[in-house]
Amino acid sequence: MRRRQPDFATDPVAFETFHRRHVDAVTRFLARRVDDPHTVADLVAEVFLAVLDSAHTYRPGLGSEIGWLYGVARDTLSAERRRAVKQSRLTDRVGGRRQLDSDDLARLEERIDAERHARQAVPAMAGLPGGERAVLELVVVDRLTVTEAAAALGIRPGAAKMRMHRARRSLQASPLVTEGSTA
Amino acid sequence: MSLEERILQELKAEVAARADRRRRARTARRLFAGAAAAGLAAAAAIAVPLLTGTERPAYALSRNPDGSIRVQIIEFRDPDRLEADLARHGVRADVTYLEPGTGCANALDGGGPAPEDKERLSADPEEWIVRPGDDDGHVVLIDPRDLKPGWTVVLRFGADPGSDRAMLGWTVVDGPAPECDVVRVPEPASGT
Repeated sequence: MRRRQPDFATDPVAFETFHRRHVDAVTRFLARRVDDPHTVADLVAEVFLAVLDSAHTYRPGLGSEIGWLYGVARDTLSAERRRAVKQSRLTDRVGGRRQLDSDDLARLEERIDAERHARQAVPAMAGLPGGERAVLELVVVDRLTVTEAAAALGIRPGAAKMRMHRARRSLQASPLVTEGSTA
Repeated sequence: MSLEERILQELKAEVAARADRRRRARTARRLFAGAAAAGLAAAAAIAVPLLTGTERPAYALSRNPDGSIRVQIIEFRDPDRLEADLARHGVRADVTYLEPGTGCANALDGGGPAPEDKERLSADPEEWIVRPGDDDGHVVLIDPRDLKPGWTVVLRFGADPGSDRAMLGWTVVDGPAPECDVVRVPEPASGT
């Protein structure tokens, strides 16, 4: 039987609350990985659209809302990177690009600039195995707790802790890894 | 409006549209669930005035690009003409309009499609030969591509007890359709 959908997927008002609570975090999450403002703008819209598609996987109380949301954002980003032809299911686009005015552009560039250190940390982890890198990225770059990172990746907190431990050992020399919480 | 606001408005419209689609899908499932009791393959409520006595066309028939036939029922008149029009599109059909409070005594369970076809066709409404063609229920879609030679599409329209809407019951039989032995049917005890 299909699980009942959370309110934010069925009620426009609840969705708006959810969107306003998290849009900044999602924008920053993407700005830590992508440095083109147009792409960031498109991806923010795509992530929230994916939220509607994935709403049935949301479990309140498991990890956190933000952990689940970052999981959706990760999947959206990797789907976007795999996709050769870009297309959007939303309407506010011309010629495949979202229309940004100078204020929109300035705000996005500001955020992209603010995340530049974190963006540099991502390639530093490229040598790690995929599963370990995913946990480390979410904890060090996105400041999630290990439990939240586990929720984002759909794995058990114990498994996330283990991967985190292994990743730290492999990267002991890197100063980036000493930041971030392991709570 | 800022970019963030614009995206939010688009997304809210999408949330509302999805909620609406889900609601309508639920209604359609409920209606089809009641069909078994009527001895038909499926039934749907259609919002057709039962009798108005005007000279409007009784129905509109057109062909969709995908090959399906779209029949919009406007009034319960001219079943013979509808049958002839459907025949021109390669569909042998038997159309019956039932007066309020009447039904067919004989159920339509004999001589239908082979069990494996029946199972496949009943599993997925999208694959049904006859299905509701719009959300308001004015329109019946018939897909002749799945009809085998000799099959007859049986459409029975009758009043939905307790409302001014009509019910469409349909099935597909292998061979000519059995005659409808019209009988009076008692009103159901509950409002289902």
